[in-house]
This record gives sequence, structure tokens and C-alpha cells, in this order.
Amino acid sequence: MSGKQFFIDRYTKLGWKYEDVKLKQAIRTNLMNNEKANVVERLRSRGVQLTKIPFLNNGYWVRKSKFSVGATSEYLLGLYSIQETAAQIPATLFTDVKDKLTLDACAAPGGKTVQLADLMHNTGAIIALDVDKQRLTALSNQLERCRVKNTIVYMMDARNASKLKIKFDRILLDAPCSGNFATDREWFNRRTLEDVNKNAALQKEILSEANGVLKDDGEIVYSTCSLEPEENELNIDWAIKKLNLQVKEINCYGEKASVNIFGKRLDSSIENCKRIWPGQTQGFFVCKLGKRASAW
Amino acid sequence: MVKPINDFIERFQSEIRLNEKLIVEKQNRYFLLSEKLESFALKDFFYAGIYLGKVKDEKFFPSFNLLSMIAQSKANKVVVDDKTEWLFICGRDVFRQGIVKTMGSKSKGNHTLVLNRHGECLGFGRITRKLDEAGAVIENVSDIGDFLRREPSKAK
Repeated sequence: MSGKQFFIDRYTKLGWKYEDVKLKQAIRTNLMNNEKANVVERLRSRGVQLTKIPFLNNGYWVRKSKFSVGATSEYLLGLYSIQETAAQIPATLFTDVKDKLTLDACAAPGGKTVQLADLMHNTGAIIALDVDKQRLTALSNQLERCRVKNTIVYMMDARNASKLKIKFDRILLDAPCSGNFATDREWFNRRTLEDVNKNAALQKEILSEANGVLKDDGEIVYSTCSLEPEENELNIDWAIKKLNLQVKEINCYGEKASVNIFGKRLDSSIENCKRIWPGQTQGFFVCKLGKRASAW
Repeated sequence: MVKPINDFIERFQSEIRLNEKLIVEKQNRYFLLSEKLESFALKDFFYAGIYLGKVKDEKFFPSFNLLSMIAQSKANKVVVDDKTEWLFICGRDVFRQGIVKTMGSKSKGNHTLVLNRHGECLGFGRITRKLDEAGAVIENVSDIGDFLRREPSKAK
């Protein structure tokens, strides 16, 4: 069960008509490093054409630039990061993050970790986990470049997070996933439903561990850049039923997730999740979870 | 433990002092923690707080965070124009005509931070001849273009 037509048929059943997309490069300004520097004006004065992303506070699309925006002194000084549009959404969905104890469960290469630190104004603490040493080095470089001060990084599988013996106020679970065709030209040739199911099983294990290290009044933001419901709506439906988590309302770009997946009726609160079909952004799925009061 | 860091800071005639109790060494790399982070830092962390630099072959290599911290204090600094800023982050030396302002020592052999016109630290260099002489006067030792130069080695 694979191939372009197989997956496109699935998207059609989910209510989306397949279209090829060309993604716009996006940047996100790092506010904590921009108190004095107006990085948008500085980039514009160098001829970089930027358009404010209407649904993000600090995001801009790069319409035109004579040079790579990844090689300017402003970038190297950490005044902004290059971060895909939809990927800028999850960190913004927590109720509040200042002074909180936050887990970034699958952190590398660190775009969202830096964003979290920025939203936290470098207060509180972020514990960032990942398993791959090369990716952890990339994460560390990002933290140094962007002058992040409140983060501790461990080489650790998120499925072992309880070994830290810490209970977290906030958990960002940007789960390892199958990805989507908008960011990978070879996606349809490489991916099978078996891959998707394997990733979905891994995501459930991480969700379960995250639930175990979450404070009673804490929040988990779960996201993937997969379009496959096994990794998204179906996993969240599982988390509601097996982990006793509830889906909280969020207000962000995207459409309500479906409660009817391939004929299977899901918990009605799944509607609070957001599914983003490729177009303005890559494909994406995001939701916010909390413990049910009865579980405390 | 913090001697290499303090020795490095002194090269810029800066008087900043870091809280030694919060500096942690991990495999020759030094990190400055906050009190909050200290309570969560287990022995086997990969990175923590503010990375200050590393010692390799008995030589201290500062992080750009440490250079920025020094730059916020009274220290040897030069401010360079936009063209020189670009050349410097590409690894080039600083020529006299690119310097728009000098603070602290101008003496040959001393180290100085290199700042852009916004006061942001781009790296540091060694003064190779008097700053008012013609030609290249500051030898580039380290610059923020290093973040890009780290990429290829990462892929190996």
C-alpha cells in the first residue's frame, strides 16, 4: 500500500483535493535578540523583500533576496531564524510559558527550541531531548547562535523522559513522523503505509511517556508534519481513550480536524485539533492536550 | 577550573567576572548555568545554559556568547563599517580604512573585539600593527561566519 495515487486517494477521502505546491521560504524574528535591532528594516535595507505572515506574530515570507538569508550577519547574530511557516505554529499554542519548566521532547535541529526560549524570554528552563549526536550538535549550534540561555540538552530518547525524574509544566512533542510531499519531492516514492504505521506506533509510545512526566495542570502541544491520520487524528483519539488526555481548544491557522476518518468515528473533541493541508505552508497537524480533571 | 576563561577575558582588558560557582566543565567545554538550570543539570548533559567555550590542546576557544558578554563591558573593541563587517565574517582581516571607532588598546599584539555599527560583536582579532597604520591591522582570529563553516564538517 504505497504510491502517489494511493496516498492522493486517501487525501481525497479526507476532503482535500491534491495539488502540487511550491513552498515560500519563511523566517522568524527572535524577539529577545531584537530589543534594539530592527532586523526586518535591516534586511529590507539590503534589498530582501519580506511579507508579514498574516497568521504568525513574528513570521515573514522571503519574497525575493539576492543572497541567501542563511548567510547574513543578522542571521549569524541570531536576530532571526529560518523556520518553515507551519513549524512556527506549535510553540505559540501554550497558554503561557514564561518561568515554566518545559520539555522539548524531540528537539533537534532546534528551530522550535529556540522559538520556545524566545517566547519564554530565556526564563524558566527547557529540557531538550534528541537521540542523534549529529542533530544534537546542530541543535547546540542553534542555541549558541541565537543566544539561548535557559536550555539543557540531553542525548536521550523521549521514550525515556521519566528517567529525568522531572514533572513538566509544558511539553512540546513535535513527533518524529513520515513527513509530507510538500517538503520532500521523493515522498510518494519513498513512503508506504507500513512506514506510517511504524511511526504512529512510535508516536504513541512518546505520547504515553510525555503524559507520564506532565504535571496535572500541564499542557502538551503535539504536532507532526505528516498528513496521514494514523499519525494525527487516530493517535490523538487513542490518547483520549487510553491516556485519559483531553484536547483543548486552540486558535491558529488551519482547519478543524475531522472526527470521521475513513468511516471510523472519533471522539468529538478531535475537532479542536488543526489539520493544515499544503498550500501556504507544508502539510501539518497540531493540537493541545491536557489531563482530564478526574485524572488528577 | 575557570582560569582559561578569565585569562581569555583579560586579553581584552575587560573586567567582567563570571560567577564561578555556576560554571560547569564537561569534556573540556565550559557552560555558565543559571541557578534554576543548575538544579536540573545532570552529569551527562550535552549542552547547558550559556556555552562559554572549549579548551583544546591547552588553548581556549571562546564561544560567541562569551565574546558578546565581554563586548557589553569596557574592553578593547573596534567598530567597523558595513563592507568590513561582511569581509570579516567571511574570515578576512580588518584594514585600517574599515575601522570607524576604536575603544581600549590600539597596541600591536593585543586582542580586540570586532563590532558592527550596531554594536553587535562579530568576533575578535589580534592587532598586528598600530591601528592608525595603513593596510591590514587586525588579524581575524574568530568570527561568526564560523556558524556556517561548521556545517560541512557536520555533514561528514
